Amino acid sequence: MSAPSRLVGIITADDADLRNSTLERACAGMSTEQLLAEAAALEVYRRQEPNLYQRVRACFFLYALHRFHLPARPDLPSGGRLPYEGYLHVLERRFEEAIQRFLRTMQRNGPSDGLSSALAAAYHRLGFQTLADQVRRSVRSVRGNQWMFRTGHPQDHPLRIRPEMLDRAPDGGFPILRERTPVRMDLSHSGWSDIFFLGMDYPEGARVLNVSIDLAVHGRDPRPVPPVQAFLRVIDEPVIRLASIDLSVERRITELGEVFDFARDYLGLLKAALIASGIVPPGIEGSGQSLEELLATVVGPGLGLELVSSVNDIPKGSRLAVSTNLLASLIAACMRATGQTGRLTGALDERERRTVAARAILGEWLAGSGGGWQDSGGVWPGIKLITGRRPQPGDPEYGVSRGTLLPAHTVLDDEAVSAEARRRLEQSLVLVHGGMAQNVGPILEMVTEKYLLRSEAEWLARREASGVFDDLVSALQAGDVERIGALTTRNFTGPLQTIIPWASNQYTETLIADARTRFGADFMGFWMLGGMSGGGMGFLFEPQVRARAMDQMQDLMSSAKRRLETGLPFAMEPVVYDFAINEAGTFADLMEEATDVMPPGYYALAVPNLVRTSNLPDTDARQADLDRFGRACRDRADMAALVPELFHRLLPRRTHAGEANGALDELLREAGFDAEEHEAIREDLRGGRIGLAQNRLPVNTQITDVLPEDTLAPTDCTPAMAERAAEALRHGEVAVVTLAAGVGSRWTQGAGVVKALHPYAKLSGRHRTFIETHIAKVRRAAREYGTDPLHVVTTSYLTHAAIRDRLAAEGDYGSPAPIILSPGRSIGLRMAPMERDLRFQYEEMHHQVLDAQAQKVRESAQAAMIEWARSAPEGSDYRDNVPTQCAHPVGHWYEVPNLLKNGVLLQILRLRPQTRYLMLHNIDTLGAELSAEVLGLHMQQGAALSFEVITRRLDDRGGGLGRVDGRPRLVEGLAMPREESEFGLTYYNSLTTWISVDDLLSLFGLDLEALADAARVADAVRAVAARMPTYITLKDVKRRWGHGQEDVLTVVQFEKLWGDMTALPELECRYVVVPRLRGQQLKDQAQLDGWLRDGSAAYIDSRCDWLP
Amino acid sequence: MKVRRAVITAAARRERALPLHTLVDCDGARKSVLRIIVQEALGAGVEAVCVVVCPGDEAAYADAVEELAPHLTFVPQPEAEGYGHAVLCAREFTQDEPFLHLMGDHVYVARGRSYAQQVVSVAETAECSVSSVQPTREGLLPYFGVIGGSRVPGTPDRYLVGAVREKPSPTLAEQELVIPGIRAGHYLCFSGMHVLTPVVMELLADLYAARRPNEKLELSPALNELARRERYEALEVQGIRYPVDVRYGMLLAQMGLALNGRDRDMLLALITENLAQAASGGGALGPMAPLP
Repeated sequence: MSAPSRLVGIITADDADLRNSTLERACAGMSTEQLLAEAAALEVYRRQEPNLYQRVRACFFLYALHRFHLPARPDLPSGGRLPYEGYLHVLERRFEEAIQRFLRTMQRNGPSDGLSSALAAAYHRLGFQTLADQVRRSVRSVRGNQWMFRTGHPQDHPLRIRPEMLDRAPDGGFPILRERTPVRMDLSHSGWSDIFFLGMDYPEGARVLNVSIDLAVHGRDPRPVPPVQAFLRVIDEPVIRLASIDLSVERRITELGEVFDFARDYLGLLKAALIASGIVPPGIEGSGQSLEELLATVVGPGLGLELVSSVNDIPKGSRLAVSTNLLASLIAACMRATGQTGRLTGALDERERRTVAARAILGEWLAGSGGGWQDSGGVWPGIKLITGRRPQPGDPEYGVSRGTLLPAHTVLDDEAVSAEARRRLEQSLVLVHGGMAQNVGPILEMVTEKYLLRSEAEWLARREASGVFDDLVSALQAGDVERIGALTTRNFTGPLQTIIPWASNQYTETLIADARTRFGADFMGFWMLGGMSGGGMGFLFEPQVRARAMDQMQDLMSSAKRRLETGLPFAMEPVVYDFAINEAGTFADLMEEATDVMPPGYYALAVPNLVRTSNLPDTDARQADLDRFGRACRDRADMAALVPELFHRLLPRRTHAGEANGALDELLREAGFDAEEHEAIREDLRGGRIGLAQNRLPVNTQITDVLPEDTLAPTDCTPAMAERAAEALRHGEVAVVTLAAGVGSRWTQGAGVVKALHPYAKLSGRHRTFIETHIAKVRRAAREYGTDPLHVVTTSYLTHAAIRDRLAAEGDYGSPAPIILSPGRSIGLRMAPMERDLRFQYEEMHHQVLDAQAQKVRESAQAAMIEWARSAPEGSDYRDNVPTQCAHPVGHWYEVPNLLKNGVLLQILRLRPQTRYLMLHNIDTLGAELSAEVLGLHMQQGAALSFEVITRRLDDRGGGLGRVDGRPRLVEGLAMPREESEFGLTYYNSLTTWISVDDLLSLFGLDLEALADAARVADAVRAVAARMPTYITLKDVKRRWGHGQEDVLTVVQFEKLWGDMTALPELECRYVVVPRLRGQQLKDQAQLDGWLRDGSAAYIDSRCDWLP
Repeated sequence: MKVRRAVITAAARRERALPLHTLVDCDGARKSVLRIIVQEALGAGVEAVCVVVCPGDEAAYADAVEELAPHLTFVPQPEAEGYGHAVLCAREFTQDEPFLHLMGDHVYVARGRSYAQQVVSVAETAECSVSSVQPTREGLLPYFGVIGGSRVPGTPDRYLVGAVREKPSPTLAEQELVIPGIRAGHYLCFSGMHVLTPVVMELLADLYAARRPNEKLELSPALNELARRERYEALEVQGIRYPVDVRYGMLLAQMGLALNGRDRDMLLALITENLAQAASGGGALGPMAPLP
């Protein structure tokens, strides 16, 4: 038996200090061999450990060993083939099988960087899967939720509508139950301690101080009101009618199955409420039973229900948990109406509030989303402490976890926080929505991971946040708002950003700095709301300047947004809120008078639909409702104001898309759109001659890994070769070409910002954009070689103006020579996808399978997408969006020909006739830089193109370097006839390319003189383009509407890719294997945290010569 | 403790004819529903029976019980003020003694000891109130009073009542009324027979005094309070209770009586014959043979 494992010892320690000690420290002195032995011991331990939480912690230790500690050891071999079968297991969420497969390969072939990346991914996902399973079990087993999973037939349904809901007015109308619910804002969440898993493992650290508030948009609404409202009434037809006033959708549901189809429309939340309240119990899903029969049992024969939601146009991303509180409000109304609360109206008691909160968690899980356990805080009144709770006998968590799923709520009464203190807080806080709408999900995963690893700095920060929390509670009790401001600011700049640097961004920091400059000591502090900043935020001011601050914050936000919106994703114009503390919590009343109607927005939605479909009222209740509405239009000012809007909606009008089309046509014209080529592509697409399946090389193509002699390494560069290259650099023979035409569709999930301008991370104390980073590296090279290399940045219609303006504003970020922009000369117009391509994508390609419920939601969304494509119809122009989302760049192959077409290469050669080489690189390859070693090899080899490649890790998907029918070349992932072929390739393309200008020109059949002849250049480019394959790809684009709402649609576009140049037989190509730090690309913001922690960020920082 | 009195509530305004309906009892004799219920009470050792009725029903009900009428006291419930109030109307009759309570629209069938004998026997042994219960699936919660509590140690069928809720929602039932050892998704619901101590009458009187205008007085809130005041047990009785006020209730009660009585074999033969005819396409139910 070997020595006992030190890491297992940490997990199993009784002593809290040892249990909470950090992995970094434990691993610091270990050799690679010792680390591998620890990994083996942890693997054995986690497989036999019955305690779920210790098992999960072991998974995360294993993840960290393989993600950070082992790859940092120089003696860990790079490369290492990954078994395709293991990769498929990961995609299918069979993580245990994936781990066993990777470990078998490791036993056979030895450890490697690639295998470690695969193991890290599998352990990471297994850890989260185990946690999600536990939360799901707990949600289902909460007392009061279990029966819903047992009820599978209408005749077994144990709920009945309360008789008061059936009590018709003389005109035949049923009463309306109205639930009004505040939203919540948290003064502190103690470092995201409200994440379910933290609460369930570390209840003593799980503490939130949150406040229920009413809201109004400053300048729009008369006064703050509970922003969330749910309306429920009986209707006299056996269907369920759902309506969301804010999203302008209503739907009549006649089948049970539709209730469980969450992604079909925007009514997922209302459907989740019907299910989580037990009216349509989850157990009945897929039973094939009739909705009419269910309604007959619960409501009465021939009757149905109508559920309507409204959030008073509060925009998405407010960080005020609007959607969770809406869900809770809807659930509360449904529960009241079916006798699941003691009283139909008024406030709820504590037990009922807890049930509503548990049901809201269930509803979020059903709809495939998930918030924190404090999010339904609006259900409770006023200011409350929400804390983790240790399970007691009888709790489903007893003996399973250290904390319960549901926390304990302690409402702070007037004695704890005086009325004066509350008033002072109200008079000091300016509450805003900054306009950014971002996905907070990855941050919550990072927090969980760091908690489990007890990473040293983060663990200390978590303790500090806990101290700040105690101070905040006492400052609140003392009514000391100035101190509250100091503490929330400290919380944000200190512990929160230590745990998650990505909680902040350049926009937020700009606003804080602007507020400080503008208001000096009257600005008392910044308050981050929810999971991250940029959306809902708080700024505390001295009460006497608050009114001025409300107006000025609007200006500050709008102007900061204008400055930054090309690089940061904004979903809407910033707004300032009026707010008031709500001391009632969720509250209901029954509207049973003959004059009572639904809110105006409901009729704006329902009446045009009735008229348009000629579906005139055929029931007494519907007729009564319309009569009441008609009377209200005469008697009530708010209803009368609706009449013009009704006409507006009823009469045909020019659509938003129609207005935008003029601008789109202009954009296409300006950017050189080729209508003839577009029609040819459409014809080929519709005819099935091009498409996702046709992207692939013939199935009999032999693709094998390259041989050792096919690649070079920087170490192959002799000192003499390096010296010749350095000399070329000194003489200005090399220019840098940075590809910056893209809008980072993966980076911001289709938000369409200029990736080059995205302030992706803080380096040397400031947020840096990609372009600034590349310029800083050129500055460094310039200093090293005593020269001023030319630097070209290629742009497209999407990025040109933004990059031009930013470079002008920033003085080219101190570039040694003026930056030359190379504007794109090609553009495409996106089209609605073909159903067969969507099906190919969904059904033939392997995808990461999601967690069970999320997967159901995804499949429902895919079905909706196919329906949309059919109705579009397939292959039609995509024009229903802003112009920049309708057009598309046509692939990076065009970037180099563009240099010929737009005269930039000619300009370079005239400015620096000695230019012989270009170093071309992608905007997100942050490590690419002028290097004498690689250039030396390129020169010595006499190559036309030298590509920098890196060894593959699990996430490096999309092709690689291989031998295709015996000849080394780069193969795109799209072109792989078999997905598994990629896993046989050791190297991945970084896209960084050293280009010999003479060889390039000769490929195009051009020389210096011909470069000046636009027609000749155009012909030459067309001739080479014809030899390049055209790929059809699907892209997700965002369509924004309403108040921060977004749709994601899949559209089709075509592209030609640079790596295919290696397939041209006349070009001499070479491949240089460079270190990962040099070739790593940043494609997804979720990579950033690992990139920061594994030393990559520090490396990049060290290669930059920032402007002082 | 000795149970000498019984209270039968039969004052439901909409179901006044039900107790008068005739069924064939286990012994083959035709009897009114009320008479069958009164016999059940007397068979458990009760000496005097009070029937709470709608005003004016006394004579018809007395006729329905035939020669048992002398055992009966009729007490009218002047207004329909709820089930609990109907029980409270018999307060004078019970004279501060424990009493057996049955419902006028339920028929009980048991093999061996009668349903009422089982309940009375436990009450007399344990010297406390006892309610008959039966495990019921949660889909039927909207129809019954439900108890929460725990098993009396060492007994297979007795429970210490901790709480009583009338027609609870499944949510509340799951949170407050789950009893360890009872099948998942099932609760112990009242089956309509109780032995109650005089404290119940006190509690009913207090609740009646404190009620809101037009509020009906139910029995369950008083029983819930009773559980907090004194020992109160529930018994899972060996037998079946047939409510006759539900759809096909009378038919099922008749089948229950017949299948547990003298005519069992004949009835089974009849049913089989009719099923066979229906299966061979001879229509739903063929002509019934005349009963002897």
